Amino acid sequence: MIILQILVNGFLLGGFYTLIGVGFTLVWGVTNIINLAHGAIALLGAYITYFIFQYWHLDPFVTLPVSFLSMFLFGYVLQRYLMNLVVKAQIFMLLILTFGLEIFLVNFMTTFFSADFKSVTPDYAGSSLVLGDIVIPYIRLGVFAICVIVTLLMSFFLDRTWTGKAIKATSLDIEAAMMSGINPAKIYALTFAFGSGLAGLSGSLLSLTQAFSPNIAGGLTLRAFIVSILGGLGRIEGAFLGGLVLGVVETMSSYVIGESYKNAIAFGLMVLMLIIKPSGLLGRKYYAEVKH
Amino acid sequence: MKKVVLAFLALLLLSYGAKAHADEIVFGAALSLTGKLAKEGNLVKSGYELWKEMVNKKGGIKIGNKKYKVNIKYYDDESDPNRGAKLVEKLITEDKIKLILGPYGSESVFATSAITEKYGALMVQGGAAADKLYTRGFKNLFGIYTVATEYMDDILEMLRNKSPKPATVAIIYSNDLFSAQVAQGAKKSAEKYGYNVVLYKDYPKGTQDLSTVIVEIKGKNPDIILGCGHFQDTIVIVKQSKDYKVNPKALAFSVGPALPDFVDSLKSDAENVLGAAQWTTTLKYKDPVFGSNTEFVKAYKAKYKEDPAYHAAGGAAAGVIFQRAIEKAGTKDDIAKIRTALSNYSEETLYGKIKFDQTGKVVGKGMAVIQIQNRSQRTVYPEAVAESKAVYPKPAWK
Repeated sequence: MIILQILVNGFLLGGFYTLIGVGFTLVWGVTNIINLAHGAIALLGAYITYFIFQYWHLDPFVTLPVSFLSMFLFGYVLQRYLMNLVVKAQIFMLLILTFGLEIFLVNFMTTFFSADFKSVTPDYAGSSLVLGDIVIPYIRLGVFAICVIVTLLMSFFLDRTWTGKAIKATSLDIEAAMMSGINPAKIYALTFAFGSGLAGLSGSLLSLTQAFSPNIAGGLTLRAFIVSILGGLGRIEGAFLGGLVLGVVETMSSYVIGESYKNAIAFGLMVLMLIIKPSGLLGRKYYAEVKH
Repeated sequence: MKKVVLAFLALLLLSYGAKAHADEIVFGAALSLTGKLAKEGNLVKSGYELWKEMVNKKGGIKIGNKKYKVNIKYYDDESDPNRGAKLVEKLITEDKIKLILGPYGSESVFATSAITEKYGALMVQGGAAADKLYTRGFKNLFGIYTVATEYMDDILEMLRNKSPKPATVAIIYSNDLFSAQVAQGAKKSAEKYGYNVVLYKDYPKGTQDLSTVIVEIKGKNPDIILGCGHFQDTIVIVKQSKDYKVNPKALAFSVGPALPDFVDSLKSDAENVLGAAQWTTTLKYKDPVFGSNTEFVKAYKAKYKEDPAYHAAGGAAAGVIFQRAIEKAGTKDDIAKIRTALSNYSEETLYGKIKFDQTGKVVGKGMAVIQIQNRSQRTVYPEAVAESKAVYPKPAWK
């Protein structure tokens, strides 16, 4: 029975990993930027929820659109006016740029919000759905549901709308896309904006399930990185599968081998994937690779 | 004429400045004022500050017939022991301070005391309890916390006489130096008292999600859960125990319940949680500087508008002991003499009867047990000095 409970926990955690991975993998797959500041942007979202909850006592779930939109705008401006300056340079330059951005954001948050752990605890925290021996905290269930819904919406957006298709087209063949009247600079900025918005959203949800401080930014980026590698770059379904696999593997290994080995196992899994199938579970050759 | 007057005034000013400096004893401290140990670090600092204020109000530290004011130079180590070590080196080499008040946290004391030892500076610390601090043959480190391996002994001893008699214990601990030693000691104590240890598991320091560990505990259904970690993990364990409806007969922690913020963070979920305490506000001890522990608590409340936590009391006590040793040695500069005075120290302070063995570790002090009852920390053990009876078994989560 305990295994079942741990599996459930793994899936719930996997939902969160999916959401934080979706934005990361989308940005990587389409614009070829490995955004090392992804976790820091997520934490900005977490702080937005925290401060709104703290000062206006709004339900944390209500703050989700706020953190999505603010991070969306932040991401758009960032890509349009900063990243675009070096987008034609080697990938290494972009890596350094996002790394610098991560350091800046983490220190910014440490300075203004302090390095102390913060958490968002609404009144209904601690109440759970009990199904026989299985206990599911309502908050985790809510977070999972939102993660899944947002991921589906994102998938729908990419497949069914003109802008979504333009994003995909740009990632597949930038020249053909330009010939069809797509402006890649705009598409890149839009993609980065979506990536950041999703990061902010996942940060807000994170604040509901655990305490956070600026120091955990790196850990979040790494999780997003693993999800992208596992699932395959640029693919929403890939992130979904990668997130769930990571969530279940982490909780299972924590149970079977020990909490302290969780990170080692997660990274081991990533390395294993890179050896066996470098394109990821659902990755196909074309994403991100064609361009370079 | 004007020039002469000016020169005279300048001279007066200079000599006054120099004199004020000579009348001072400067202590140094590199504490965690920000970062994950900021809470505890700032509490220790409050203790130092209150001690400084109290001593200076009484004229200062008395050497021979002269009184010297206390001054403390602080640095923030940002909860990074390596940074702490560098800052202590700076205190000693650049600021020329050889009397170091310790930081909070075993790892910080471990790193910084290596520096004080290297430069022959003295450290008195009321902020770390790892046994390992005292196994390195250091001569210049003195600590007033009961060591980690004895932390949970009193709680387990208290619980074994309760009915229904608890038989099984689950121990979970953060895998840092201090918590691992508390856990080792707890396991040894549990076996000594005849408990069956059904789970003994570590988790990474600073983990914010322990749901897997909590679920695993639930599977073992232990009578007692002992959590050996720090404030933040303790909060996580209580919250997630409630989330997953884990209901032991006793839920006890090495660190956390003794802090005032524990109740603020957890509200009614904090009820009936047990904690080990180096010190509580209600212990009746005399003190050479404050008069008594009760007086110390009163002074602290007047200054900070809140009850002192044991960290703050530890800080103040470290200051008191340092001061008394300097007074007994009759010097502020001869480190060897002050060290001898510390080695021979034996006096009742607000923190208890303090005496050091040859490794610099406090001996014979023991731990109090507290329980959260009606949203406040009550001393429930040892029974001779207890304020109220322990609630056992712990009622189930609502």
